[in-house]
Amino acid sequence: MVKHSRGNHLVFLITVGLLAWVVPGAGHYMLKEKKRAIIIFATIVLTFCIGLYVGSIGVINPADAKTWYLAQIMNSPMVAALGHLTTTAPENYLVFGKPNEIGQIYTGIAGLLNLLCIVNAVYLAHLCGTNRELTVKTPGKTGG
Amino acid sequence: MSLMCSLVMASITIPEKIGTDPQSMLWLLPLTAAIVVVYKATKLPTITLGTFVKETVVLLGSIVIFIIVIALVLFALAWLISG
Repeated sequence: MVKHSRGNHLVFLITVGLLAWVVPGAGHYMLKEKKRAIIIFATIVLTFCIGLYVGSIGVINPADAKTWYLAQIMNSPMVAALGHLTTTAPENYLVFGKPNEIGQIYTGIAGLLNLLCIVNAVYLAHLCGTNRELTVKTPGKTGG
Repeated sequence: MSLMCSLVMASITIPEKIGTDPQSMLWLLPLTAAIVVVYKATKLPTITLGTFVKETVVLLGSIVIFIIVIALVLFALAWLISG
């Protein structure tokens, strides 16, 4: 019974983490933290879009900028589709110099911010599960 | 609708023209604001409009002031060494 409960808790944590990765803020939304979710979604998507606007989608370059790509893909798995687009026709999306730098910094930092939010959402989900276990275990003490 | 779509596509497939002058560093200020907003969204125990805006402005202000102080110190050092 306990193992089953722990298994469910793990599945819950993984679901929250995956949701938070697929859509920024969705992990918090699942935990009924709607204000946090909206702020996180708006800020991360806006930051990522500014990066794309400044540097074009050429800043997502899985072939020549792998480290940046690792940070960028933390925004969402959908970034992989943009990466595929730029690697299949790199001559169409050439970007150099300052726009490339600023675009990479914006999109990379947006991804790292989403990573922070994923970790935060999973931690909050873990706390929710722990608190639920405590309230289930101690109803007799409170007279309920 | 197709014009709108074309405009959006054009804006993300052609890079902007940004020079290498010192003013281009100002592009990093909105990024700082974004970092502050997300950080505060994850750290505040309860989010209300007033508290959130106040905390965000205080943190962003302190970061900007610290950057200005560091810039002035570095500028003074460079002036002392080269001048």
